[in-house]
Amino acid sequence: MNSLADSGALYDRLIVDRARTPLHAGRLEQADAQGEGKNPLCGDKTRVDVQMADTHISQIRHQTRGCAICLAAADLMAERVAGLTVPQAQDLSRRFSAMLVNEPASTPDVNTDTTALGPLEAFAPLRAHRARIRCAELPWVALKEALSHVDV
Amino acid sequence: MSMASTQDKVRQDLDVAGIRQQFPILSQKVHDRPLVFLDSAASAQKPEAVIEAMAHTMRSQYANIHRGLYWMSERTTEAYEAVRDQIARFLNAHSREEIVFTRNSTEAINLVAHSFGALLKPGQAVVISEMEHHANLIPWQMLRDRAGIELRVAPITDAGDIDLDALQGLLADGKVALVAITHMSNVLGTVTPAKTIADMAHAAGAQVLFDGSQSVVHRKTDVQALGADFYTFTGHKLYGPTGIGVLWARKELLEAMPPFMGGGDMISTVTFEKSTWANVPHKFEAGTPAIIETIGLGAAISWVEAIGFEAIGAHEAALTAHALTRLADVPGLKVVGQPKERGGVISFTIDDVHPHDIATLLDRNGIAVRAGHHCAEPLMRRLGLTATARASFGLYTLPEEIDTLADTLVRIRNFFV
Repeated sequence: MNSLADSGALYDRLIVDRARTPLHAGRLEQADAQGEGKNPLCGDKTRVDVQMADTHISQIRHQTRGCAICLAAADLMAERVAGLTVPQAQDLSRRFSAMLVNEPASTPDVNTDTTALGPLEAFAPLRAHRARIRCAELPWVALKEALSHVDV
Repeated sequence: MSMASTQDKVRQDLDVAGIRQQFPILSQKVHDRPLVFLDSAASAQKPEAVIEAMAHTMRSQYANIHRGLYWMSERTTEAYEAVRDQIARFLNAHSREEIVFTRNSTEAINLVAHSFGALLKPGQAVVISEMEHHANLIPWQMLRDRAGIELRVAPITDAGDIDLDALQGLLADGKVALVAITHMSNVLGTVTPAKTIADMAHAAGAQVLFDGSQSVVHRKTDVQALGADFYTFTGHKLYGPTGIGVLWARKELLEAMPPFMGGGDMISTVTFEKSTWANVPHKFEAGTPAIIETIGLGAAISWVEAIGFEAIGAHEAALTAHALTRLADVPGLKVVGQPKERGGVISFTIDDVHPHDIATLLDRNGIAVRAGHHCAEPLMRRLGLTATARASFGLYTLPEEIDTLADTLVRIRNFFV
């Protein structure tokens, strides 16, 4: 598909696959905290359930109704923040938002740096689609709310 | 009709190539592709004649109007007031005093809700429909909440037409003071049976307002033949500039209504104790108006009338037929609504592909469409949708652009499904 291949810059295969078949969708029966994000402009909605083990996020699930960008952002966020502490997840959130606005100065190694974006870098082309940035940030809004309810 | 023959039909009706040359913006490229602009229902592009009329005013004769005792102010006043005459003819108003300039259709409806609304008493009702743009919904909600009037909503059928039997039922108790309904839906493309609705409203003792924002672009509007009491439209969808809209209302209604905004130009005499109002329409035009935009709207109407509504209607009908034929071939695509009479607006969904993803991928291919709730959230809820993608056509739209849309939609669908 020649012409859509150009737009593959944004609709990376990973994004399309996760939108179609999310790996971290659903609810957690034993959730310690929940958060919700809604975009009144398009009706997209995501709900995040978080389960904690000591200081770190042991499990996370999302329930998302939205566009491919929003769905994949929720799924890849869940994958990336599992195992992180609350401050680490918050750092990652800040780095993700910054990436959507500016070119990152450096690309840390996902194996050694907890705030490395790793697969989340698939969303970097959103910089050229300002109207869609909110789609990718919506799950992070829900996560922020969930983490605000966590006592650590 | 076959694809080739519907394309030919579009060409016979209008010299679209000649029209396109008058729109400098259309020769641009977007993401290295020729621009395919299919969002005219949101706002139309502007022909050279409009751009030039506005630039000429600013370059050669601009001054404030209605008060300057010098040559330039008089010339500008003449040009501005000539547009009022022109719009009176355009709508077949009884007189020029019935034309009130506003910022847009939204402001025109707010004016009616405020000033006609001031004449209503608690217990009286306003009827709108399920397919209204927020512009013809929120002002009435605000009136309801401050004046204790009742807001009734006429349902639509599954096909996307006003349910006239249900509307009749809403009018039955004689409490309805105003029926405010779109003349053409910005989502479904439905052209509403305005004359029938006006007759029903009048038989129940109600006035009727039509939101003509979409409709005036596509067909000749005759407010007398429609039996309207109020009619609103906006300049920017009619190939004119932003910032200028029109309220037409019967003169005796305007005379009975209190002013909307206070300030300069809308007064007769002013003292600290008491002021009196100017005659209509100036009573409703406080402050320095959108002089340049009004002159631009005049140029836009001249431009549209030179093409003629017969050719415009034929071009639109042929394009819409071509689009419905081509879109029917896109797997998984559902056109939203099958109204009895449709203007050049088509909303659609494709399987589970989100309309915002459709719009972004179309944009990457140079195609501009609208996606979302189209400022009609209650209608979306009625249809069981959160959003649709919408393609809408203008005088410059080519059948080949519809083909590009349909072909690209097939690829987008394959990409996601």
